Amino acid sequence: MNNETDAAQAPVVPSVGLRKSVATLAAADVAGLRAALVAMQGISDDRGYQHYAGIHGLPLPGYCVHHDAAGILGHLQVGPLFLPWHRAYLYFFELALQDAGHDTTVTLPWWDWVTDPAQPSEIPAVYAMQSVNGQPNPLYQGPIIDIPDSQWEGERQSLATDTGIDPGSLPAVTFRQPGDLPMAPPRLPTPEEVNNALSAPNFVDFSQRIERIHDGIHVWVGGTMSEIPVAAYDPLFYAHHTMIDRLWWLWQLQHPGAEPPARYLNAPLPPFPSLTVGGTLDINSLGYEYALAEVPFEPAAGR
Amino acid sequence: MRPYLSRPIGLTPVDIGASYYRADLVFDGVDHSGSSFALRVFFDNPDATHDTEASAENGYVGSVYVFGHGGCFGDEGHCDVPVRRRAFDDRPPHQLIPAKMWIEVTDAIRQLAQRQDQLVITVVPIMPGEVAEDSQVSFQKVSLVTYA
Repeated sequence: MNNETDAAQAPVVPSVGLRKSVATLAAADVAGLRAALVAMQGISDDRGYQHYAGIHGLPLPGYCVHHDAAGILGHLQVGPLFLPWHRAYLYFFELALQDAGHDTTVTLPWWDWVTDPAQPSEIPAVYAMQSVNGQPNPLYQGPIIDIPDSQWEGERQSLATDTGIDPGSLPAVTFRQPGDLPMAPPRLPTPEEVNNALSAPNFVDFSQRIERIHDGIHVWVGGTMSEIPVAAYDPLFYAHHTMIDRLWWLWQLQHPGAEPPARYLNAPLPPFPSLTVGGTLDINSLGYEYALAEVPFEPAAGR
Repeated sequence: MRPYLSRPIGLTPVDIGASYYRADLVFDGVDHSGSSFALRVFFDNPDATHDTEASAENGYVGSVYVFGHGGCFGDEGHCDVPVRRRAFDDRPPHQLIPAKMWIEVTDAIRQLAQRQDQLVITVVPIMPGEVAEDSQVSFQKVSLVTYA
């Protein structure tokens, strides 16, 4: 059997990507993620890392939806769009990551930050190590390049005041201060806290509970992750938000049919042209699924 | 920044109802335009400060963590939230519209209501950097809301 010929002639079968736990990523998964990230960071146009990180905050306009009290449409009064907007954001980021890495098997892993209080709160090792095989670890920090000086100087001052660290002029890099900021929660969320969120009886309540946990983790990580305008330049941002997205999916599975209020289902999620709130509700339709791990079988010798 | 201390509110069935299944502490008008910050909430501890340990013995019932926008980076007026908008304006709302947030405090309220008729809350803001002692906390209103 000629495997190369077979592979070239094999039809393209649509497959749903598996987003896996950072803790269970195989070495090849981590290597593929790092390679795709490096490739994405090497692209300076609107397919690259700077473009996608900038959608969340700086450079203006920033599109992210946090603490949305008034909805995506001006005449609506309450708008729990935090979860749908970030699901759309991850969806487009993941596609760009796959394109950059020429690898459709690369998916965004989730950082399971649920931590027993008796255990130390930590950032996963694959994101915390500064270098890998003598090369900078692209999961450790991200570059900040394409922000106009007039906007960056304000954010730079804000970071210096709030974190005690001046990131300097651009190009700069992200930094973290796990557990160090005075306004940070004392530890990462406990199973009890997360279960409390998952027990929320309706979407609005769940969104509120999970956004509060989400906010605390951003502040716990500290540094650039603690401020909306530059948080998405840190590669850890995507693992954090993939966990948030996964918890929403788990909550959806436990609450069949529980959706955002009907009046929001057709609301757009700018700047993403092809998705509405309703379009984010089924992750299988978006081409991914959550798994704890994936352990492929290899054929036995001679089979 | 000084803590917010409430006047007493009633905890009797006349005040908050008798058969609520849930009680929330609701913050309206939370300003998230600046630095990230936390609000620590204490029941019946009017002397609580940022040095007070967040423990049940001290009346601590929970915190709100606010992931902040860090300031304004546009030109003058960029971050001014419009007071009102005309009808048929379907543009996205301003991102800095103050938020509504809540903490569920059902068990704490039930326990307190069994032994006392009133409650005061102290909200201790935990801010980064140096903050003026006499500045105000960053929300417009805090309420106890019960649901039946």
